[in-house]
Amino acid sequence: MTSPLRLGIIGAGRMGITHYSIANAHDHAAITGVADPSKLVTTMLGKYAKVGTYKDYKGLLKGEELDGVLVCTPPAFNPDILDAVLEAKLHAFVEKPFMLNSADGDRFAKGFDAAGLVNQVGYVNRWNDMFTKAKTFVDEGLIGEPLRFRSEMFSGTIIRDVGEAGWRSTHANGGGAIYEMASHAIDLIGYFFGAPDRVGGTSLSKVYSKQVEDIVSSSLFYDNGPRGGLAGTLYVNWSDASYRKPTNKFEIFGKGGKIQVDQHGMKVFLAEANEAHDLKQGWNQIYITDVFSSVPFYVRGIEYTAQLFDFIASIREGKPVRCTFADATANLRVMEQLFADDAARVAGDAA
Amino acid sequence: MSKGPIDRIVFGDNQFFGINHMSQDKAQERAERFAKLDNIMAVYDHAIEAGVEGIMLNSNDRAKGICDRFRADKAKYGHLKWYPSIPYPHKYAAMVNDKGMVGAAQEMLFAKGAKSALGKMVSGGMAVATLDAVKLMKMLVDQEMEIYHDLDLKVVFLQNIIVDLMLGYDVAEPFVAYCQHIRKKYGAYPGLITQNLPFLRRKLIEWGIEDVVICASINKIGYLMSPGVAEYEAVLAENDGSKYPVMAMSTLASGAVPPVEAYDYINKLNVQSVVFGASSPGNIQQTVSLIEGAPA
Repeated sequence: MTSPLRLGIIGAGRMGITHYSIANAHDHAAITGVADPSKLVTTMLGKYAKVGTYKDYKGLLKGEELDGVLVCTPPAFNPDILDAVLEAKLHAFVEKPFMLNSADGDRFAKGFDAAGLVNQVGYVNRWNDMFTKAKTFVDEGLIGEPLRFRSEMFSGTIIRDVGEAGWRSTHANGGGAIYEMASHAIDLIGYFFGAPDRVGGTSLSKVYSKQVEDIVSSSLFYDNGPRGGLAGTLYVNWSDASYRKPTNKFEIFGKGGKIQVDQHGMKVFLAEANEAHDLKQGWNQIYITDVFSSVPFYVRGIEYTAQLFDFIASIREGKPVRCTFADATANLRVMEQLFADDAARVAGDAA
Repeated sequence: MSKGPIDRIVFGDNQFFGINHMSQDKAQERAERFAKLDNIMAVYDHAIEAGVEGIMLNSNDRAKGICDRFRADKAKYGHLKWYPSIPYPHKYAAMVNDKGMVGAAQEMLFAKGAKSALGKMVSGGMAVATLDAVKLMKMLVDQEMEIYHDLDLKVVFLQNIIVDLMLGYDVAEPFVAYCQHIRKKYGAYPGLITQNLPFLRRKLIEWGIEDVVICASINKIGYLMSPGVAEYEAVLAENDGSKYPVMAMSTLASGAVPPVEAYDYINKLNVQSVVFGASSPGNIQQTVSLIEGAPA
């Protein structure tokens, strides 16, 4: 393919305008159209960036000749949008959590695969240099067979009474700490170990929100397959004002040692030294400055560029996709298990 | 520019407000120490004693209090040159979190009330289609710049999150408008902070924008330098420092490069200025002495 890829943005909110910048900076891709209901946003983009602007995806898909779309809308809108995108036979990058239920997710995973279309979801931690390094360590058996893990995520996103307004305030729109935050912590688990078989002891709590959870905690179990016997915990809190930026913390324990990793650093404890990785017995500290990769263009973080450039490479060169619709659907199944487990606990309490 | 070259050494604010990813405990300790304005001013006094004459300060929620202290003592601080950076990205990110994009935009525009210049501009039946984005941007800049009134401004920097985001859109107008506004209204150099120095400089040349200070991470390991060290070195070697003065930041790469090694590298490059942050008198003194061309 020699002509630049023509990409459209559906939903020019915070993620949409970031992805626009990154994808447009690619040597072999250009944003040629944007759909957003905000007149302010489309007027500005039409006037200054001189791209085709539309009030919704229908106009965009009709008005522009595209190779792919970046879908950055609240997830409740995504089934209708992706039906049209699939019909138009376009490659699709969709922001997480992708869908609100696994049945929809499954339908699109199968549909896009069958149509031979690249499908990717924006679980950006899979492109973070620290998490990819930690996964390499685990896959290479650095700490032996993983036995326990903790996946945690904290932020000060909801730290005051937010009322009932906005798409964040209901599950129907994709609001709540499970869809918006725990999805990242669940995806890290899936990225490292695949999806768990079941969850238990789930507790969803409100701090400020009226209709959705602000805190999520649960246990996850692997009963069968190569990971049989592995178990771990999930703790996500988006009402923790002590965090200025959203932070994922991931810990894995194995017989040979322990890994504690977040977006910026990693601590590795080893029972025995590992010469191949130049790691000593006991504690080792690895900083992001030890492992960072370079990207051709930087906006919000290396991983944001890396994931979109990978999407473009998948379309142009058939590069394997690191986070497919199917991967995101597996996460949705876990989210459904969490909702069901908490509901069962509440029902049990009431009985 | 009538105001002469930029300072070789500029003292930053990351040591007060930056996020320390390396250690939660250190971050907490620092937050507690610099919650007190007196402790911040004591560090500035050490820097000034070490010969620093340029101050870079982001328009964060502590900046006004700090600027008030500097304004209050003209005899002691009147000689300092100021290098503000705007906006405070966290403030807008939090607003978007709370209210969404449209709500955040409204809050920004009406922050000074519906009767303010901004308020009048966006209310009163003005059609969105005729909304003048350039005028709007100037007003937002002016709103941020109130913090720095009556200080001697040398450069007004736009934060990298905005610069690099706009850079991807490949549109000249906002860059042209920002630079003109800073020159005209503040009599200062426009400055652009970036993590993409070679790309930004290429675009500025293409767009015919000159006399702009470019502030970028520059360190020997290539941390936060896109696309990479080799490209930075090549561009710096051919750069005309009178048209595009370069200010190096993140010279220690978050502590990955020891100071002696770091400034040995920087001193060999065609870099006009260095912004650094440190909080102990020893580290401040050492850094100043390691940067070549620094005031004795």
